[in-house]
Amino acid sequence: MFKPIKEMMRVGNATTKYPFAPLERPEGARGKPEHDSANCIACAACAVACPPNAIQMVVDPKGGTIMWFINYGRCIFCGRCEEVCPTKCIKLSREFELAVMDKNDLEETCTYPLQKCSQCGKYFASAKEVAYAGDILEQQAENDEEAKRARELLSVCPTCKQKADAYRAKRRVDTVGDPTPDPTPEQMDEARKQADKNKAERRKEARF
Amino acid sequence: MTIVDRPLPDRLQYKPEKIELDESVKKAKAALLNDIKRSVYIYRCDLGGCNGCEIEIFATITPVFDAERFGIKNTPSPRHADILVYTGAVTRPMRVPALRAYHGAPDPKLVISYGACGCTGGIFHDNYCVWGGTDRILPVDVYIPGCPPTPAQTIYGFAMALGLLGQKLHHKDIVEDGSVKAQLRFADVPYKVRTTLEREARLYSGYRIGQDLSDEFMEALERDGSVFANINDLIAAQSDSRKAEVFRKLRGDLEDMVVTPEQQEAQLKKGLERVVPHGDQPDATTQAILRGAGVQ
Ligand code: SF4
Ligand code: SF4
Ligand code: SF4
Repeated sequence: MFKPIKEMMRVGNATTKYPFAPLERPEGARGKPEHDSANCIACAACAVACPPNAIQMVVDPKGGTIMWFINYGRCIFCGRCEEVCPTKCIKLSREFELAVMDKNDLEETCTYPLQKCSQCGKYFASAKEVAYAGDILEQQAENDEEAKRARELLSVCPTCKQKADAYRAKRRVDTVGDPTPDPTPEQMDEARKQADKNKAERRKEARF
Repeated sequence: MTIVDRPLPDRLQYKPEKIELDESVKKAKAALLNDIKRSVYIYRCDLGGCNGCEIEIFATITPVFDAERFGIKNTPSPRHADILVYTGAVTRPMRVPALRAYHGAPDPKLVISYGACGCTGGIFHDNYCVWGGTDRILPVDVYIPGCPPTPAQTIYGFAMALGLLGQKLHHKDIVEDGSVKAQLRFADVPYKVRTTLEREARLYSGYRIGQDLSDEFMEALERDGSVFANINDLIAAQSDSRKAEVFRKLRGDLEDMVVTPEQQEAQLKKGLERVVPHGDQPDATTQAILRGAGVQ
């Protein structure tokens, strides 16, 4: 009769003290994704990666803001966001006490300003993202001149860059002439023969 | 014209009606939430989850987490239940059983949305056949997020519903005005070196541990003194041989990236030779650079 009692004494109590004492979670336990808003550049990489769209970006092109939004109630704690984040500002923490009484408390937003194009004045990307890209280019630049040039180019929106490219191509055609005139039939024949020859040679090589 | 251009008109869409509580029930519920002193019985209702949540609920009533020490007992009938726990994203066929369980339980009762699916629809939120969350059809009192919530998360949720613990998470709206700048990580380590080391470390030991290891490695790089001496110190200090092995490999990758002055000069020459194609006469500036680099 004393044997089971003895055994119980030996094994002891396996039940955790939680919630009356804090619970120690092991390293690597997946909990709330902790967002460090100061280092976030609003690049939306996490929003693209997030499988259940727990993270979303809302762009307001008129107001010039981009909003990072997370719903912890939808997060599946997969860690894709921390994998893709370029500045490592989102990281799964060990925090697990996420239950709420009001659904609104599950949501969090961070709003960032957008960057205006230096040419057309339209908003085109998150300002912090542009500044961050500038920092990286500056880090790699050989001299100040190059860094300055990189920053100038960064402040132009893709549409204006495309337009500038188109104008430059047009100017070149106007002054120098068509840079790539259509090939003559003889040139085409020649190219076709060359291609056949290359193919035959590749086959030969593959055989050995 | 695509379907996306023309959404289904509202009159053709069925939207579930959410049950609203009347005043007396609300009051009784508030009183119940305020001082619930007795043992509570829970009834668990699976509205089309993946069963992960069910497994965690049963893990919660195992001896290790032992939800029964708070008097929480699982009951097989909603007639005996004080708390209804709904898991799953509420598939269309499960709406009516959910309502039957709800009406079957005596008032005042608490409804808990369990798991990411129960809270918002979770990973299934945009599925065609789900309503996306318990609160689309029922008044929910406590939301327990997680996919699935661990037993500790579950206990926390119940403890909160019973008033043992307070709520920790609160809504946050942060607005930045553009004065804060994102910090470049390891600004002293050249960009290509940093990205190469990060990539290699991730290949060696996965994105999470790999990232931690490459961070540690780069901290050693940024320290004052000889770079390789610092790295050797770091390797020597490791008690975990797996970590030391990864650091050794990273050191090898770094050695491959190191360029001696002779190699650098040879590369420069090669690059400059490529700038000036054969047969062309370089202009005066290029000639000066070439002379400087020792290319005739
Ligand atoms: S952990 Fe996964 S689900 Fe959660 S926010 Fe990150 S990417 Fe989204
Ligand atoms: S990936 Fe990182 S930096 Fe980019 S928006 Fe998400 S949290 Fe911010
Ligand atoms: S929340 Fe996650 S674990 Fe729970 S039912 Fe949904 S998918 Fe499964």
